[in-house]
Amino acid sequence: MEVKITQSEGTMTATLSGRLDTPASVEVSRDIQPLLDHADGTIVLDCTDMSYISSSGLRIFLTVRKAAAAKGGRVVIKGLSSEIRQVFMMTGFLQLFEIE
Amino acid sequence: MVEVRSTNPAPPSGRERHLILHNDIGQIPQLAEFMETIASESGMDEGVAMSLNLALEEAVTNVILYAYPEGSDGLVDIEAVIREDRLDFLISDSGKPFDPTAASSPDLTLGVMDRPIGGLGIYLVMSIMDSVSYERKNDKNILSMTKKL
Repeated sequence: MEVKITQSEGTMTATLSGRLDTPASVEVSRDIQPLLDHADGTIVLDCTDMSYISSSGLRIFLTVRKAAAAKGGRVVIKGLSSEIRQVFMMTGFLQLFEIE
Repeated sequence: MVEVRSTNPAPPSGRERHLILHNDIGQIPQLAEFMETIASESGMDEGVAMSLNLALEEAVTNVILYAYPEGSDGLVDIEAVIREDRLDFLISDSGKPFDPTAASSPDLTLGVMDRPIGGLGIYLVMSIMDSVSYERKNDKNILSMTKKL
């Protein structure tokens, strides 16, 4: 699992590549601090190259979303595969995010 | 490690595959490999294989994180029986008694701020599998999960 964070104007984009399983989520939860610091702006989570997610990965998404809600920012999710979209649907996460 | 054979179709009694993990979260990726073998043997759809990988990971993660006292070594035994029309998983451990099927369902209608972080793992297992049952037998937790194929 790889996370690349880039910033352009008011938008911070995190590109997630690979499998966001339980051990990967432990690593990624340490990498997302810049996103939490930027939670008053726009955060884009680019999932085009993310092939799998477990509940520990969903936890990370929700942590970012809660920080944005608290600080008045936005979280936009891009590039969800149909399989991962299905996981978002099962857990009611589709309603919690702006999904492009 | 994962044993691969390619004799199709599965016999009526089922073809068994077996994996034993230690209670170390770093071993979770072995489940993906295990599931890949099962998927290729049963010829299941990629999406179904991914959701089964997810159910398996959630059930096993629960054992790895909570069944044994912190710092002690324990095992999780995963048995898969592949039949033509269904797949059965038996997950067992010798940790403290815990019935995941008794967990209450999360409220999926809550808004962002009210949504608790966590509590979705077992819910995913129950949503993905067609049936899930728990028994405590010979000092072991045994979780049986079935998916119709």
